[in-house]
Amino acid sequence: MTRRIARLFGRGGDLNPKNMRLGVWAWLIQRISGLVLVLFMIAHVIAISQANLALTGPLFTMFNGLRNPFWAVDRTVLAIDILMLGIIAFHGVNGIRIVMFDVGIGVGLRSHKIVFWSLVAVAIVASALVIFYGLPLLGGT
Amino acid sequence: MSARGPAPTNVWLWLFQRITAVLLIIVLGLHLWLANFGQASASLRAMLGLILLGLALFHGLNGVRTVILDFDVGVQGRKLTTVMLLLLGAASLLFGVHGLWPLIVGG
Repeated sequence: MTRRIARLFGRGGDLNPKNMRLGVWAWLIQRISGLVLVLFMIAHVIAISQANLALTGPLFTMFNGLRNPFWAVDRTVLAIDILMLGIIAFHGVNGIRIVMFDVGIGVGLRSHKIVFWSLVAVAIVASALVIFYGLPLLGGT
Repeated sequence: MSARGPAPTNVWLWLFQRITAVLLIIVLGLHLWLANFGQASASLRAMLGLILLGLALFHGLNGVRTVILDFDVGVQGRKLTTVMLLLLGAASLLFGVHGLWPLIVGG
């Protein structure tokens, strides 16, 4: 195990940041963000179902935080939500990139970089739209 | 046949991972739209919730399986991983349905 880790991260290792190029970063971030999103989904389902069923208890305050404008309450919950939104957007567009490469679109020394950064731009724009149009509405209900 | 080595690639799991990925982008878009602007009947929201639950559970847990199997866990490890994730998936599905229950029965 230790030897394997040393081989991965040591000099010349595949996961040594010095050797990692764009595609390897994308691969690594896709995996880590995927694991984070599984944990987030569990927390999300627990929070929402508690709010739906019980409407009381400590988790209801969390749900309450979700439904109020961020200038009023629970900034931590909102910060986590915005972070998750960004992670979901990245995981989604990078997934599109993977499917594109599986099909054979955009594979090339130059074009794969253009594809990556264009999709990152799409993810940023999509997240911004949800934040600016979606979040203020949460307080109004 | 050695106990260790790369896990055999299951083409169906690979394909379903791609299909659920594309569907998740669409359904998550609807989910966010509905959470923020939406006016929809309880039955429609229950339906969307169940679809999203199933897609996300498969995609998420199959993704976890892929990550674990990349660590060369051996034949026994692969079997254990699959069984544990299936159990976790079944339990999560029940819990999710439990959470969606007020919508399903039309609250």
